[in-house]
Amino acid sequence: MSLAAEAFMSQMAAAEPWPENATLYQPLKEDQILLSDCASSLAVQAYLRMCGLPVQVFCRANAEYMSPSGKIPFIHVGNQVVSELGPIVQFTKAKGHSLSDGLDDVQRAEMKAYMELVNNMLLTAELYIQWCDDSTATEISRPRYSSPYSWPLNKILAYQKQWEVRRKMNAIGWGGKTLEQVYEDVSQCCQALSQRLGTQSYFFNKQPTELDALVFGHLFTILTTRLTSTELAERVKSYSNLLSFCRRIEQTYFEDKSS
Amino acid sequence: MAAPDELFCWEGDWGLPSVSTDCLVVLVSVPLSVPAVVTPEGADSLAFISLMEEKLMPALIYTFWIEPKNYVDVTRRWHAEHMPFPLNFFLPGRMQRQQLEKLRLLRGDERLEAGEELEKELYRDAAECMNLLSQRLGSHKFFFGDSPSSLDAYVFGHLAPILKCKLPNGKLQQHLKSLDNLTNFCTNILQLYFPKDGRGEAHNSPRKTSPHSEGGDFDHVPNKRRKQFLSALVALGAMLSYALLTGMVSIQHAHHEALEEPPDLRDIGSHHDHEDEGDG
Repeated sequence: MSLAAEAFMSQMAAAEPWPENATLYQPLKEDQILLSDCASSLAVQAYLRMCGLPVQVFCRANAEYMSPSGKIPFIHVGNQVVSELGPIVQFTKAKGHSLSDGLDDVQRAEMKAYMELVNNMLLTAELYIQWCDDSTATEISRPRYSSPYSWPLNKILAYQKQWEVRRKMNAIGWGGKTLEQVYEDVSQCCQALSQRLGTQSYFFNKQPTELDALVFGHLFTILTTRLTSTELAERVKSYSNLLSFCRRIEQTYFEDKSS
Repeated sequence: MAAPDELFCWEGDWGLPSVSTDCLVVLVSVPLSVPAVVTPEGADSLAFISLMEEKLMPALIYTFWIEPKNYVDVTRRWHAEHMPFPLNFFLPGRMQRQQLEKLRLLRGDERLEAGEELEKELYRDAAECMNLLSQRLGSHKFFFGDSPSSLDAYVFGHLAPILKCKLPNGKLQQHLKSLDNLTNFCTNILQLYFPKDGRGEAHNSPRKTSPHSEGGDFDHVPNKRRKQFLSALVALGAMLSYALLTGMVSIQHAHHEALEEPPDLRDIGSHHDHEDEGDG
């Protein structure tokens, strides 16, 4: 989002309180949504629940195209549309809700750095496994991504998305990696997160922050999504404090869903 | 990290051992320790490296390769001067296209172009990243205690080119210079690991009396003059030979004929005299 648009949005956001009819859009849950999008969406939902802000989840086949930045998820609040966790956190901050106000400067720097770590390693690894691993792409990603559409549009869109993701992987230097190396990177990322979490309930103090929401979104989705192999989930499961962290957040904030 | 047998890297300039970020990181990393991820330092290193790759690197790419003035005046010129003929004609342009492509893919915008709006966004992210690094460093000498680690190498590799290179559009440098602890950090590492280059710059600076900001120009002026003279000679020679092959030859012939004619006239004149005498 451009700077001018952001400033305007902050001003507009500050003007009104959070309404009751806020909605969150994501692709179809059963048939269409992929691992990476599901993780991002769950992270935003967790964050909003942690802030105590009500939001309804709507599943739409064209959610990706409705989104202002092309990324999932996006929220529709009042007459504004905001996508991705970063801008959504800023948006809620403008409305006076924030989880990271109690942090000092060093902690805030660490929080931002660890959020970038999750985006840089976990999200990229998820995208790689979905689109650059041939078996997963053929069996899961391409069929699911294009399920709402009929032939030949489904083929065109699926291959276009795959080509786009592969180009991005090449640009950031992941194009030459093997699947094994990607799993190693995921392990390293989980190890860093596990190290940082230690024996605490949340990453900072006793209260959750947007980092907790983001980590929960990704790890919970990895643990509960069926892929062609269970390697990814196994790598995450080997860190017990991360497992109990996910369970704790699920029980605290998603109680009604876990029944 | 084991010391490599042979390391190919870009040359240095502006008081740095190398102008490329990746080369700097490797050069500094060689003597340093890499903390294991299982330690808090290792985990934090990984996190801050991700932060820099996401927020600082796009701005670096933009300021060196995409921003028009910087690219034309400094980056392209430097690379062309440090490449052999004939690579210097097309390789910098190709590198620039690759960097633009990379930036487009990083930002997820296929129609990205250089512009004020993009510049503001990228520099804002970079400034925030530098502020966060500064907050994390605090008043310590290095990021983790008193001995440097791989994170210090990484930060140095990214910040040193910004600090040292004099670009026409130097907003990033201004912001970095306002963060004293980061500036001292970079100079510290430079003095510790590359004292030759640091001293080299100190020697060069009194000599730089010319108004040109790039230090390379002062040394290249005699070569340039010689090259200009040679190219003028070549051009003149080409023109002369073309003229010889088409025009000059005829001019020379006319000159010979002109030389020969007066004797003919004189001959005719003397013939006439002889004839006259013969007749008379």
